[in-house]
Amino acid sequence: MKDQQATGHAPVRNTRNTGPGRLLIAVYGVFAISATARAGYQILTKFSDAPLAYLLSAFAALVYILATVSLAKAGTTWFKVSVAAVLVELAGVLVVGTLSVLDSVQFPHETVWSLFGRGYGFIPLLLPILGLVWLYRRRPSAAAAAQAKAAE
Amino acid sequence: MDAYFWIILVTGLVSTVVCLGAGILKKAPNDITILSVAAVEAALVVYLVGSIVRVIAGEPIAGEAWEFWGYMATAMLLPPAAIYWSILERTRWSNFVLAAVGVTALVMAARMNQIWY
Repeated sequence: MKDQQATGHAPVRNTRNTGPGRLLIAVYGVFAISATARAGYQILTKFSDAPLAYLLSAFAALVYILATVSLAKAGTTWFKVSVAAVLVELAGVLVVGTLSVLDSVQFPHETVWSLFGRGYGFIPLLLPILGLVWLYRRRPSAAAAAQAKAAE
Repeated sequence: MDAYFWIILVTGLVSTVVCLGAGILKKAPNDITILSVAAVEAALVVYLVGSIVRVIAGEPIAGEAWEFWGYMATAMLLPPAAIYWSILERTRWSNFVLAAVGVTALVMAARMNQIWY
């Protein structure tokens, strides 16, 4: 069993929290914590400086929390929540990234997604893409097909 | 950058390289990779104790004090959380989770140094 898991040939179940998914969830978890801490700090100390940017920070934090939790949970409902959260995250980093380049007054480089996440080594841009790839590979229909095959 | 930062830089980089190497070699987390992450936690404890002593001795923190301690608390939570997460499923991927601790800790230590000075 241990060898099966180590080589990645474990039976496919309707979960995302196994193998490389565990690394993905860990990185999402770190972003959830750091984005929450940052947004909380910004809103508590200097909210009036740039309300839009700080509300976006808080929104990004919520998206990361939702993605972390939903990826760690099994089942089709949580799968759908994960897809939604990761798609919102991708849209967020693309829209905020673009706006922060075009309009640096409204978006003074103070959210996780500003400049496509440059302040965080562009991981915020990479993360939703890897997330979607992983969600596709572990989609519930693939798990069901593998189970049916195993039952034959 | 003070000595505390350099201690965390060295232990963090060593831990990340060891864990990455073990992951690339398709090994599950073992004593060496887990202890390397524990060493990062130990380095953070040294930073914590040193910082408490400096504050008691009257040295001022240039930036926001609670931001500094917030970073410290978060950084100290990461190694135990990663070890817990990695031993629940012992595959090579768990070593990549452990590898993330070292670099994250050194980035946070750099930020903590910026806040202090």
